[in-house]
Amino acid sequence: MWVIFGIVVTAAGFALIEMRPLAKAGKIKELWLFALLLLAGTGLCIAVSLDAPVPNPLDLIYALFRPSSRMLELLLKE
Amino acid sequence: MAGGEKISIRQFTVLAMFYTIGTTILVIPSTLASDAKQNAWIASIAGLLASMAIVALYIAIGRLYPNTTLAGMLEAAFGKWLGKLATLAFIFFSFVGGSAVLYYMGNFMTTQIMPETPIGAFIVLFGGLVVIGVRLGLEVLARTAEILFPWFLMLFIVSALFLLPEIDLANVKPIVGIGLKPIAKASLAYTGTATLPLVLFLMFFPAALNRKQGAGKALLVGNVIGGLFIVIVTYLSISVLGADFSSRNLYPSYALAKKINIGNFIQRVEILMAGMWFLSIFFKAAFYAYGFAAGLARLCGCKDYRPLALPCGMILIAYSLVVYPNVVYMMDFDSTVYIPYAISTGLLLPLLLLAAGLIRKKPGGRTNE
Repeated sequence: MWVIFGIVVTAAGFALIEMRPLAKAGKIKELWLFALLLLAGTGLCIAVSLDAPVPNPLDLIYALFRPSSRMLELLLKE
Repeated sequence: MAGGEKISIRQFTVLAMFYTIGTTILVIPSTLASDAKQNAWIASIAGLLASMAIVALYIAIGRLYPNTTLAGMLEAAFGKWLGKLATLAFIFFSFVGGSAVLYYMGNFMTTQIMPETPIGAFIVLFGGLVVIGVRLGLEVLARTAEILFPWFLMLFIVSALFLLPEIDLANVKPIVGIGLKPIAKASLAYTGTATLPLVLFLMFFPAALNRKQGAGKALLVGNVIGGLFIVIVTYLSISVLGADFSSRNLYPSYALAKKINIGNFIQRVEILMAGMWFLSIFFKAAFYAYGFAAGLARLCGCKDYRPLALPCGMILIAYSLVVYPNVVYMMDFDSTVYIPYAISTGLLLPLLLLAAGLIRKKPGGRTNE
């Protein structure tokens, strides 16, 4: 519970620091990207702190590069 | 994007050195020793030579596009959509790398130094530091590297000198007992960890330097100096600990520093080694995070990446607890699929970029940015 509270407060702090100068400068695209990333980051942090299953990008790399790594291994075996 | 930021040649050299040493110094002696046994140090020299060829490729790309960042180069070479796709591949690479490096850091701290503290605590602290570095920008990171370099050098020289009395040459013999293939495999692992990630330096490599003259040389010199540090550490860990113990230990250079014993007075100074590692891994993590934030900013057409540093850091910290579920997974990933993955991102994609760029340049078409 406290962890989630901490994460949300941190995210709010980040928003407070970064969003005002961006809004003042009229950088709408940056503002959207920042908000999107912050939302994703907060969600992910909460998910991880709750031990919820999060998709692992390395599984994708495993799926893509398994065959070439096998080939490399065969090639370099004594 | 990098237009406002300028760093000097010397700062760039030190950055390249720190980035090359990065995580390599602590983990690679083990990988090298498990493949090339007592010839691990020869494998690291072979890796160093292969690295020079790869760096030459990056320098050639930098020469082709002196004033733009990696995303701009890719779009100029491959066209808008393919270029964006390739940029996405690099963003993914830096994202995975950044999370992995943060995990390395946390795992090292919890297994070797402070076993009772949860891993998340180290990752949040260290990741926070990295994010602050990226938020402040490239120039600040470069100056930090310049300031920290003498300290790194001092720590390295002290620990290397203290280890000299422990060297047992019997551990290094026989020198030519291992075939070419294991050495090639080991040097591939070295290149994958130490040099191929340098591709992310193309995000600012020629564009953010205050002088273009000698920029390529600086990258090469930084990479070679970093490589020499690793060769020395590998040699020391083979000759002091032996090939077998080095290959079974997850962090042989840390175990190595525990061996230091000068007159029963100076001993247990392994934190020197850890300190060196904190310095170099900071820059490795910072430039992965930089690649992630700056790549995303450039992909979406934003001028400044710095506002994105904080949320990107949150994502990296969250994912660093996800990417490696456990150490077995980590070792398997690093020694098998990571190598073809790093080769395809750090070697094949840049080769394609160079080829496409050369073809496009021929009719006199000029890329402006």
